[in-house]
Amino acid sequence: MPRKAKTKEENSDINKDVKKTSNKSKTTTKKTSSTRTSTTQKTSSKVAKKVQNTDKKSTVKKTTTTSKKTLNKKVPSKKNKKNLKTIRVVKTIKTKLKRAKLFANLIEYYDLPYSYNQTVIKVLAQTPTILFVYWEISKEDRELLETNYGKNFFNSTYPVLVVHNLSKNYHFEVPIDDFANNWYIHVPDSKCKYHIELGRRSRSSEIIFPNNYLSITSSNEIESPNDHILFEELGNTIYYMNVKNNEITTKDIASLSFMKRIGKIYNIYDLYKKMYKEQELDLKNPSSNNPTSTFR
Amino acid sequence: MQKKQVKGYVSFVLHAHLPFIHHPESEDYLEEQWLYEAISETYIPLLLNFKKLEDEHVNFKITMSLTPPLLNMLDNKLLQKRYIKYLKKHIELSEKEIKRTKNNPRENELAHYYFNRYSNDLYVFKDIYNCNLIEGFKHFQDIGVLEIITCGATHGYFPILYVNELAVKAQIAVGVQTYEKYFGRKPRGIWLPECGYVPEADKYLREFGIQYIITESHGILYADPTPVYGTFAPIVSPRGVVAFGRDIESSRQVWSSINGYPGDFNYREFYRDIGYDAPYDYIKPYIASNGVRVHTGLKYFRITGKDCDKDYYNIQWAKDSAEKQAGHFLDCRTSQIENLSSIMDVPPIILCPYDAELYGHWWYEGPYWLYILFKKIYYDNCNFELITPGEYIDRFPSIQMSTPCRSSWGANGYSEVWLNPTNDYVHKHLHVAGNRMVELANLFPNEAQNSLKRFALNQCARELLLAQSSDWLFIITNGTMVDYAKKRIKDHIGRFTKLYNQIKKDNIDKDFLHSISKIDCAFPEIDYTIYSK
Repeated sequence: MPRKAKTKEENSDINKDVKKTSNKSKTTTKKTSSTRTSTTQKTSSKVAKKVQNTDKKSTVKKTTTTSKKTLNKKVPSKKNKKNLKTIRVVKTIKTKLKRAKLFANLIEYYDLPYSYNQTVIKVLAQTPTILFVYWEISKEDRELLETNYGKNFFNSTYPVLVVHNLSKNYHFEVPIDDFANNWYIHVPDSKCKYHIELGRRSRSSEIIFPNNYLSITSSNEIESPNDHILFEELGNTIYYMNVKNNEITTKDIASLSFMKRIGKIYNIYDLYKKMYKEQELDLKNPSSNNPTSTFR
Repeated sequence: MQKKQVKGYVSFVLHAHLPFIHHPESEDYLEEQWLYEAISETYIPLLLNFKKLEDEHVNFKITMSLTPPLLNMLDNKLLQKRYIKYLKKHIELSEKEIKRTKNNPRENELAHYYFNRYSNDLYVFKDIYNCNLIEGFKHFQDIGVLEIITCGATHGYFPILYVNELAVKAQIAVGVQTYEKYFGRKPRGIWLPECGYVPEADKYLREFGIQYIITESHGILYADPTPVYGTFAPIVSPRGVVAFGRDIESSRQVWSSINGYPGDFNYREFYRDIGYDAPYDYIKPYIASNGVRVHTGLKYFRITGKDCDKDYYNIQWAKDSAEKQAGHFLDCRTSQIENLSSIMDVPPIILCPYDAELYGHWWYEGPYWLYILFKKIYYDNCNFELITPGEYIDRFPSIQMSTPCRSSWGANGYSEVWLNPTNDYVHKHLHVAGNRMVELANLFPNEAQNSLKRFALNQCARELLLAQSSDWLFIITNGTMVDYAKKRIKDHIGRFTKLYNQIKKDNIDKDFLHSISKIDCAFPEIDYTIYSK
């Protein structure tokens, strides 16, 4: 289950988690990097060995397969057969050597950088009511803050995320800490536009901002997905587009008989919900619960 | 045959996709086998069943998405060669099995069956299709029974990539270009990767001529304003993209892991395989090169029941079950359509989208079930016909306007599968690489053809696209083969970043570029300028 930043009380626990995981990930990356380098060395030496071995192996294999094939076809003279064989063997060795040469020099190991030294905050919608935010402040911007507000800036302030709901025009604040660089935020409203601000608030009287808030950077704007049927927004008129000529026509659906029809259609879905509840599966069919999932 | 009274339509959409896996540098990658298994168990069986229907003059309609990475792999000479090698090894193994099982008539019969099946695959692949299965699918499109649609270039998940909208534009552009290259025309529809819908992508879909998309059921049910006929009729977005939603009832019948068709006790048991069951020294040459036991594809048992000893697989019994279930499916759709057509003023369409690899790979009898079902629909006096989404639009072009809901077909219907604490670290890197690609395209708007820099810029675009594949995120969430997926993300981001820095410093390492362009060789015709604003 996804890690979620829920209530203020729980945040301290979550912070601990974040710290732990960040420590963990550091050690594991170290491990993998050390083993990786050794494996790449191994593989490169393997390649060299393989190239040597292929001479022997391929000749043995080839003799068996070619003899089988030729059995079914016209039987050429023994000399010809031998020549053909050697030509083929030489060819396969040549291509294998070529390939080995091409990739022998490609010894690579990559790790994802911890930071890109940029000041940025991005927001993504995980579900209709959970937003994911990641952020980073560049070295230059950190230094700038310290020059402007004093060396102790980061110790005497704490970071906050201000969540702005642009559709319903409200905002709320999630206090975070400097060990985290991402957060899951619960929001009350689906199908709303959001944007998020990364800012700081003062811990003490040492540093004072207007309204006790300093904005650092602001995110992209997203709309959280809808999570329910929007009957109330249907209205009395529906619009049709003829996709062949882009002609738009309207239809009045206020009549009782039409509403009854729509009701019947959506009754079917209610029925499904009840039927499939027994299977502990909801309306949305999860592909990761389906049997093909482990194939990929 | 009586003339049918058609009251509605059923539309099958099979989504055929595998991530681009191509390792000329080594033969030890197990992940490469996914392609070979899918060819033997799904793609060839589908083609053979389509062919049977064609030969028997059964008119059927089906829609398939063949994703760009899959097309690139099916067209790849090295992978074609390795598939032949794979088949020869399987033929050799089944020959040995025929000897090993000579005292057990039921196993022996199946060993013969596998020997024939793999031998036939080799014949079909090499001699009939000349190693080119794409042509095989194209044939059925050309004769009008199959509608092939495209997909995002590397199955990148639009709802998250959209933070950089040119990244989504490029996914669509390269998807459409790849399709045109192989099928000689523009695609009418697109399978949105993971059915991930964002309304903002509509303008690019329209720009590249896409007429329709497939969404998960709630993509339609939660649309704005509410579609009056639910998923039983398509809707059209304000920008003119037609959306078809997955039907819930028919999906359940096939997908459900609890009581879906594939769980029939007579069907082949996927998890019992001689790769695990046979003596170790005997099976060693046919399992993973590091000696780990894996599936070989030779399976002798049927599902039999829950928590019980497994009985041998009986091909005839399995066929009987498939036929019975095809009848059940037909009856269910008939009554569903009977009921719906009385309350709708357009004929209902029941859209049944599935992963293609469900048919044959997981549900071994799936292709046969489809064959029987299509025959039944054609011959039986039922109240519906098969149709493709494109044909439905042609016949009933007046469509209710509504914006589909942001959605996907992943667990719980939104973005959790591709964005959760196991894989959320990836998105930052994908977003940065996407922005850098746009930066490069704008810095170097018209590099000379055949120049080293253009070559490098195009390779950057390939690396970015390959990193964006939703498969890596999915695998990490799913917890199997995680190391491989994580390495692929690191490799593509790493190669991209290295090239990005080299291009900016005008110091391109030719050998490095050459080597990685041999490995990450998808989309040979790519043009990096799709990323310029």
